[in-house]
Amino acid sequence: MSSGIFTQLVLRAIRSDYLNNLSGFAWLILQPLMLLAVYAFVFTVIFKARIPELEPSAFVPFLAVAFWPWTAFSESVLRASNVVTANAALIGKVAFPTELLPLSVVTATFLMHLVGYLAVLIVLQLTGTEIHWLGLLPAAIILVFLYLFAAALALIFSALHVFVRDLGQMLPPLMTFWFFMSPILYSPSLLPEGLASLVRWNPIAWFVGRLRDALMFDGFSPEWSDLIVPAAVLLLGLLALGFFRRMSGHFEDFL
Amino acid sequence: MSGPALRPLEEPLITLEGVSKVYPRVNRPGERLRAFIALLAGREPRDGALVLDDISLEVRAGESLGIIGENGAGKSTLLKILTGVISPSRGQARSNARMAALLELGAGFQPEFSGLDNVRMKGALLGMSPREIDDKLDQILEFASIGEYIHEPVKHYSSGMVVRLGFAVVTASNPQLLITDEVLAVGDESFQKKCVRWLERFLADGNTLLMVSHSMYLVQKLCRKALWIHQGRAREYGEVFDVTQSYLAWHESRNAFERNQRNQETGDSGLYRLESFRFSEGVEGREQAIRQGDPLQVELKLYSPDGRPPAGLVGIVRADGTPIYGVASEVEGVVPRRVDDSHFALSIRFESLPLLPGNYAIHGHAMDPEGMRLCDTAELRFRVRGDSRELGFVRLEHRWITED
Repeated sequence: MSSGIFTQLVLRAIRSDYLNNLSGFAWLILQPLMLLAVYAFVFTVIFKARIPELEPSAFVPFLAVAFWPWTAFSESVLRASNVVTANAALIGKVAFPTELLPLSVVTATFLMHLVGYLAVLIVLQLTGTEIHWLGLLPAAIILVFLYLFAAALALIFSALHVFVRDLGQMLPPLMTFWFFMSPILYSPSLLPEGLASLVRWNPIAWFVGRLRDALMFDGFSPEWSDLIVPAAVLLLGLLALGFFRRMSGHFEDFL
Repeated sequence: MSGPALRPLEEPLITLEGVSKVYPRVNRPGERLRAFIALLAGREPRDGALVLDDISLEVRAGESLGIIGENGAGKSTLLKILTGVISPSRGQARSNARMAALLELGAGFQPEFSGLDNVRMKGALLGMSPREIDDKLDQILEFASIGEYIHEPVKHYSSGMVVRLGFAVVTASNPQLLITDEVLAVGDESFQKKCVRWLERFLADGNTLLMVSHSMYLVQKLCRKALWIHQGRAREYGEVFDVTQSYLAWHESRNAFERNQRNQETGDSGLYRLESFRFSEGVEGREQAIRQGDPLQVELKLYSPDGRPPAGLVGIVRADGTPIYGVASEVEGVVPRRVDDSHFALSIRFESLPLLPGNYAIHGHAMDPEGMRLCDTAELRFRVRGDSRELGFVRLEHRWITED
């Protein structure tokens, strides 16, 4: 029964974003490509940014491979964080597993950005970057865990938002901070020693690093962190679901 | 129509055990946070509004229960607990049934989306698979009789159309247990009739209905049992006619009480007085009840300052003050019996009281001998018991004629 609700909620989330626009799904592909062009211009022509250990031309793919997964992650967490409060009318009137609300938003956001991500990868390949397509398999697994990580945070924040409304104002700057604290625009090797050891505790550093390993460099060899981060994500997911379910019976009182 | 299908009665569909609901105070952010911390710690919120207080209830398959009560009595909160939308603060609520709830017209409808999209969403929320929805789409559209509007966004619908569509999906979801909250009141006459017909068939098939309504007519028509919630507590539970009767009686007497308060402020006292006014036959018991059709006799003792015999006026009103019948002794040429120089006595007897079950009051008045001026008033309340299903206040003599 809940799978039907979930499908409807995901479709609804996708449609409310794109289908009401004139060209609908075309934006799913156009928007990331336009953004890619903007970044290529700003970072290579204006900033002349480069990664020390790579060719100057490798900066744009270096950024792009990490940027879209991050965008899917942060956008889905931010969008899901107020989904419970925004659907107060539904929650107060219909009995259904409420956790489907944040989960459907995260799913819809990831699905939409996945389409854009693939388009970006193809365009990178066409413009001369060598993408390791065999790396798509490990990359897909990494993305699944990134999705689960986003889902866990979405569950926690959306439940918390019911009780602490200030979260709506706090989260966007925190996400921006997190973005700059993650090696997305830069390589961790550029960081001073103290900060570099700190960034190692940032799970996003693992996600973007391993995605680059899989898609840009040929050398995807297993590491210990490949076990630790996914296990931690699963654990967090279970805790988040437990927390959400414990709180969901009381949402109505606070909405 | 066939009788209710037999179902095993091993377990009730719905069980409430000592259910209470306290809504925490959440007006200020600080209170919100404190309530949240209390929740995390597993404590009950310390203060808040007690909306439901210790309600226990069992609903078995095939039953039909009407929930009645004033606005704000806690009916809707009770339904929300029954459907699992909110959890009780104390006590337990259990249910095991394929349940469909219609708590508000268009709940789960998103105004931006078309009627069709909303039918799919609503169907999913009611536990229907996408295939099931497609299969029953024609049936839904037929029941809702919305026509081409189904492709329009719901925000362009009238409230009647929204409720028609919502109810149509519910009928298609084939529930065992239907819970509705004053929803039918929105549709127009013919749609209401359609819904009531559907509900009657639904019940005849052995399904279960729980409804909140302010329409005693609908409750009596559809439900066999009723629960009267008053200020969060179960005030009365039982056969639908008993409960609705005492609910209506309570309403009537409350209205009358308010009116009396107004009357007392204006005040009316005169020369001729009513010394005593009492039942001498008929009513009995603490609740002053009489059976329908029994004799009723009341006695008036009148005081006259000038020794002339005053006139007596007796009137019967419904508990809310609606007059039913009144007659003055003077009009019928009756003179009260003289007891002494200034006291008179008079009784009136209704041989077979034709009032229908309900709460009533009998008013006695002292009038001047000419029957021109009302000088004093007294009131006695009583209740007529019976299980008549006639409508109105009074049974009128009648017979049905079927031959040509």
